Amino acid sequence: MRVIVFDYGAGNLHSLVKALESAYVEVGVETDPVRAVARTTDVLVLPGVGAFGAAAERLAPGRDAMRAAIADGLPTIGICLGMQLLFDGSDEGTGAGLGVIPGRVTRLHAARVPQIGWNEVTPVSADPLFASAPVPMAYYANSYVCRPVSAAAVLAWTEHEGDRFPAAVRAGRAVGVQFHPEKSSAPGVAFLHAFLRDARTTERS
Amino acid sequence: MLTRRVVVCLDVQGGRVVKGTQFVNLRDVGDPVELATRYEREGADEIVFLDISASAEERGTLLDVARRTAERLFVPLTIGGGIRSADDVGAALRAGADKVSINSAAVARPAVLTEAAERFGAQCVVASIDAKWNGGAGWRVYVKGGREATALDVVDWAVECVRRGAGEILLTSIDRDGARTGYDLELTRVVAQAVHVPVVASGGAGSAADVCAVLDRGGADAALLAGILHDGVTTVGAVKQAMRTACLPVRAA
Repeated sequence: MRVIVFDYGAGNLHSLVKALESAYVEVGVETDPVRAVARTTDVLVLPGVGAFGAAAERLAPGRDAMRAAIADGLPTIGICLGMQLLFDGSDEGTGAGLGVIPGRVTRLHAARVPQIGWNEVTPVSADPLFASAPVPMAYYANSYVCRPVSAAAVLAWTEHEGDRFPAAVRAGRAVGVQFHPEKSSAPGVAFLHAFLRDARTTERS
Repeated sequence: MLTRRVVVCLDVQGGRVVKGTQFVNLRDVGDPVELATRYEREGADEIVFLDISASAEERGTLLDVARRTAERLFVPLTIGGGIRSADDVGAALRAGADKVSINSAAVARPAVLTEAAERFGAQCVVASIDAKWNGGAGWRVYVKGGREATALDVVDWAVECVRRGAGEILLTSIDRDGARTGYDLELTRVVAQAVHVPVVASGGAGSAADVCAVLDRGGADAALLAGILHDGVTTVGAVKQAMRTACLPVRAA
């Protein structure tokens, strides 16, 4: 199984790549958004550090191809900013997100922003992903959060100073997590492995 | 609800972890990768590497240490020391840091905070402030590893750093650093009240009770620990147990 991490130019990918590799999958890092979703890609990872505007700009030339691949069933996990890129757009910066999940990204309604630290992940129901790999407490580092049009997209919630927002969302085979599983110690790494196990059972033909 | 964090700091020089008091009398305490991963297993919420040599020739050494660490560490890693520009921030992030702390360079040219925040997001930009009590005039900002006084007031400077893009303040009391007499609660409290970003208190931890005091009465979001852990005076587990007893929200290891 070939996992491609789309590198949009910012941030630490080492921990994420190592966490994925420890599930015995082949991991590649790709800076071109079109090549990132080539037919040889079995799983797409949108990593989580950077600013929305800059990331959307890097994504733009491959936006349609990536959107089509995800709509076609490519298992995808977006982490933090990568989750936010699954939405239509963001108040943080200009440019279009992938629009895989209807909704916008807006600033946290809290006195202390960014939210930096360990916070809860509360699944809404018996989602198989969180059931197989619970992450009761995860590491977040974000000023902006996703506001899906429909709560049906939400797999888990969290809350910061009274602002409740999605910790995880799903649209088909695309999952987004606001926290950083690769920075959430052993439970976070186990969560990534569980996502990859699911992806393996639903690989594209 | 966000938990309060226990942050373990490793001062790195020439690829080794060292510890001294008031930035001098350094001694070797171990290998950075080994220590960082050991502290993660013990329940540390975050690790900080401070490059205390911060010379150009050792910068490559630190980035190499960061790379090797990030491949084995699955909690956040902050790197600081000698970061001058947004390009330096980018290099540290690419090497394996999740956050980068900027100290002297921000004082010399505050725009560096904005440039880094715009490129990489405020959540990875940490303004590191070394504070020294200045008698009746409050706390003064020091730079160059605590060796050089500036004209800046610590509270004013903290507010300015946040205005310019810092997403977190790492606040070190030079007076307390290594003294193990407790954090400077008053300093921490005035800064935490003045800014809307998380404040990491540093300098002076002598016991688990000191950590609870700075998180509770000092209003810090996180407490930085170094010497008392490296020397085995206490453990991350004991500190977190004390926090739990004090009814502070804590992540179970």
